Amino acid sequence: MKNRTIGIRQRQSMTGWAFLTPAVILLVVMNFVPIFQALLMSFQSGRGAQMKWSGIGNYLRMFKDSVFLQSMKNTGLYMVVTVPLMIIIGILLAVLLNDPQLKLKGVYRTCIFLPAAVSLVASAVIFRSLFATDGFVNMVLVRLGILKRGYNFLGHPASAKIVLMIMRVWRWVGYQMLFFLSALQNIDPGVYEAAKIDGATSVQSFFRITLPLLKPMILYTLIMCINSAIQVYDESVNLTGGGPGNSTLAMAHHIYNTSFVNVPNFGYSCAMSMLILVVVGVLTFIQMKAGDTRE
Amino acid sequence: MKKQFLAAVLSAAMIGTMMLSGTAAAAEDTVQTLTVWCWDPNYNINALRVAERIYQQDHPGFTLDILERNAQETIEKLATSTTSGKMDELPDVMLFDDTMVKQELLSYPEAFTDLTDLGFNYDEFSPSKVAFSTIEGRNYGIPFDSGTALAFYRTDVLEEAGYTIDDFTDITWDEFIEKGKVVLEKTGHALLNGMGAYNQVAIMLASAGSGYFDEDGNLNIADNKAIKEIVRIYTEMVNGGVYMEETGWDMYLGNINNGTVAGAMNGCWMMASLQAAEDQSGLWAVTNLPKLDGIEGATNYSSQGGSTWTISSNCQNPELAVDFFKSTFGGSTELYDEILPTGAVATWLPAADSEKYEEPVAFFSDQPVFSIITQYSADIPIFITNAYDSSARNAVVNAITNVIYSGAEIDAELQAAEDTVAFEMSA
Amino acid sequence: MNKKILPRIAKNAILIVISLFCVFPLFWMIIAATNKSSDVIGGRLVPGTYLMENFKSLTTTYEVLPALINSVKYSVATSLASIVVCSIAGYGFEIYHDKHKDKLFRVLMLTMMVPFTATMIPLYRMYARFNLLNTTIGFILPSVSMIAMIMLFRQNSRAFPMEIIESARIDGDSELGIFFRMYVPSMKPTYAAAMTITFMNAWNNFMWARLIMSDASTQTFPMLVSNMTAGHFVDYGQLMLSVLISTLPTIVVFFALQKSFVAGMTGAVKG
Repeated sequence: MKNRTIGIRQRQSMTGWAFLTPAVILLVVMNFVPIFQALLMSFQSGRGAQMKWSGIGNYLRMFKDSVFLQSMKNTGLYMVVTVPLMIIIGILLAVLLNDPQLKLKGVYRTCIFLPAAVSLVASAVIFRSLFATDGFVNMVLVRLGILKRGYNFLGHPASAKIVLMIMRVWRWVGYQMLFFLSALQNIDPGVYEAAKIDGATSVQSFFRITLPLLKPMILYTLIMCINSAIQVYDESVNLTGGGPGNSTLAMAHHIYNTSFVNVPNFGYSCAMSMLILVVVGVLTFIQMKAGDTRE
Repeated sequence: MKKQFLAAVLSAAMIGTMMLSGTAAAAEDTVQTLTVWCWDPNYNINALRVAERIYQQDHPGFTLDILERNAQETIEKLATSTTSGKMDELPDVMLFDDTMVKQELLSYPEAFTDLTDLGFNYDEFSPSKVAFSTIEGRNYGIPFDSGTALAFYRTDVLEEAGYTIDDFTDITWDEFIEKGKVVLEKTGHALLNGMGAYNQVAIMLASAGSGYFDEDGNLNIADNKAIKEIVRIYTEMVNGGVYMEETGWDMYLGNINNGTVAGAMNGCWMMASLQAAEDQSGLWAVTNLPKLDGIEGATNYSSQGGSTWTISSNCQNPELAVDFFKSTFGGSTELYDEILPTGAVATWLPAADSEKYEEPVAFFSDQPVFSIITQYSADIPIFITNAYDSSARNAVVNAITNVIYSGAEIDAELQAAEDTVAFEMSA
Repeated sequence: MNKKILPRIAKNAILIVISLFCVFPLFWMIIAATNKSSDVIGGRLVPGTYLMENFKSLTTTYEVLPALINSVKYSVATSLASIVVCSIAGYGFEIYHDKHKDKLFRVLMLTMMVPFTATMIPLYRMYARFNLLNTTIGFILPSVSMIAMIMLFRQNSRAFPMEIIESARIDGDSELGIFFRMYVPSMKPTYAAAMTITFMNAWNNFMWARLIMSDASTQTFPMLVSNMTAGHFVDYGQLMLSVLISTLPTIVVFFALQKSFVAGMTGAVKG
């Protein structure tokens, strides 16, 4: 009864499934199985390898854990501040670099991408020395008369957070820029010409033409940026060590400490990870629902 | 054609890498080999190599198989191996920081060998050192290097302020702050710096033989007079500019090496790092630490950052391991003489009788630094350690941060710190 | 005239300033690699004469060459395996997309949302059970199939004209044949982009490496570097030389592929 086209459709769909299979099997085995086991572990508690079932104890525990709550606040701040900055600066840089008459594009491009490639160990040492009490930043601020004497940026809770966020934006903005740059280069220049003839200013055409065409790329970078922001670990460990006190401690850093620095409590550390999964999952799901459309 | 070729190359590369994979299996028949995980090629690994050579003189077939792993990697590996029941992934010998060893022993008891009855000569080591790896009277570790704390000062800077090293010997912390302020005023140099309060608090607390817990393992932070006094002193030092808080080892050491800070207080292993600034040779001198005034059991001596060997439960021949350590780290002055230039000072007491320890060190104003260290070691009080020490220390440091930067009240913050640790222990 | 030149000067000025900020660490690392330890952390910004000494102390303390070879081997193998698997999957998700595949895709996105700390113990347990510890395949396997990579190929496949596929089908080509003969060559830039990213990630991935590689002969270069800050005395001259050496391969790969890299992302917005 079925007509031929449906048969082909089905066959093609099966081929599609076959194409996915290797990747999906690997993702399931390498990721879902461990995630599921971590989920099971999140209902257990105990020191080291001696774990006992503890129900939802670990999940209730989180909300009484002052260090975790602090790290959650820190991470939330990092996300709210750095993600928009990275994406906005990334887009602006891409627009600047998209000028067809601009020379040395390749050089600028490489330079701005460089921080992502540079080893974190070196970046952390450099940032610490730049923001030291007698470092370059203080020297400039004192010269300009903004500060009377050097300020210990990484020694104070509020400014240490700011330096950490500066470093994060600095490291990853070039990476985001590349995604946008590529997207921009794909826009037909004729569209802009037409808009110009219609009397649109460059600001207007940026908002009316550029931004809408960048939408799929903004979705991709937004999802990736939010995901990595909530899992921030490197900067917290390497730049500030979470300090002073716990004032820059990130959630993933606290989770690591719970497993491998303090007396190990793997069940609790898994429970906190599951919370991250839920938070990022919900945020991503909303974005995918709103943004992942085919015309 | 070309594309098919590319595809073929890609898949061939994949299969190829799968085939290339090699497996490392511990050879069961060579019982004369000990595998070791530790870090620092110029210090720990160097010491092991020397010990290996010495032991080989009487045991020709003996070898050490050393893998460089930093402490954090060892702990990760300990966790994954133990929880997977894969003890055979562990080496025979692991090195731990003194501050971490009790935590690891108590967290993964199944991963270590009890050495108590294997005939190791613990009574020849300084008791405060042996205490790090002793649990309920049983010994699980072999003491290695000394963490005896020293106060280092730049004599040229002190002189500029009208002081000598003697003015900083056998003093109290209040005197230290007072003199430190004079030095700051006259020379512009802070006397101390550190990576936050972490090491400083640990050194000060140990100098009074106190801890974050009492003898019975109960938390002792909020009502601990020593801790309160430490918070007061530390806050005053930072606010007075006598102590500079740094972030990261590089900043800490950098400001000492470049002369911004005119003193240092740390375990004796710090010597090697100070000596990297060759242009400061002869300008440094060492003495004992300031003392916590009015605190019971307070002394001018403390310890920070030595390390201890442990033998894993995977070790097939613990007798061999113990015999190796007994003949070297617990019985060879030759070993300790040879590693002395790297800054590794023995906690095996007989090592100090060697002439080598009497030699003056030019960098430190020709003082016989090593015999000074041994002398100080004898006076370090035994302080109470606990598996939750590192959590407790973090909580206290966090309290100090809040006191200094948010103007929080000391008592309330210490209570909060105690609650945080109690919460962690409640799991 | 002025109207055109002034903005261009301003533009270049902004880009030059930003580029300088971004190049600074590389410049700093090169300077640091030529200085001795106490000068590096003391803040010296002038080239020194210690490059050879640093190199000598690095090569006498560590087995640099075997570690570098291991790193290259693991990274190249990982990135090759990854782009093959992920591109086929990304192609499959987009070209044959339907409601079920889109749903599956969203579920799979969960795999990137759990911190590695939580999954490393179960993953290690699995590896121990299947005797994959200390093996190259063990190093590679967890990073072969990455949802971020699959998504990159999926988004890029939106730009691939369906007409080509349809006409090839009419010509009787097999589906796999279409993928290898039509899709792979036209997506060269995407492959270059994916290669750069996966190479960079694999090269820097020592968290996993240090868990499963406990044999001296399997150590990678970043693993060596991570040990260099562990001692009582840290030689910062040697450290910065090592960090520089460790950064160069990624920069070289980026340089080599950067033109295609930019073009490779392009497809993502089409359609």
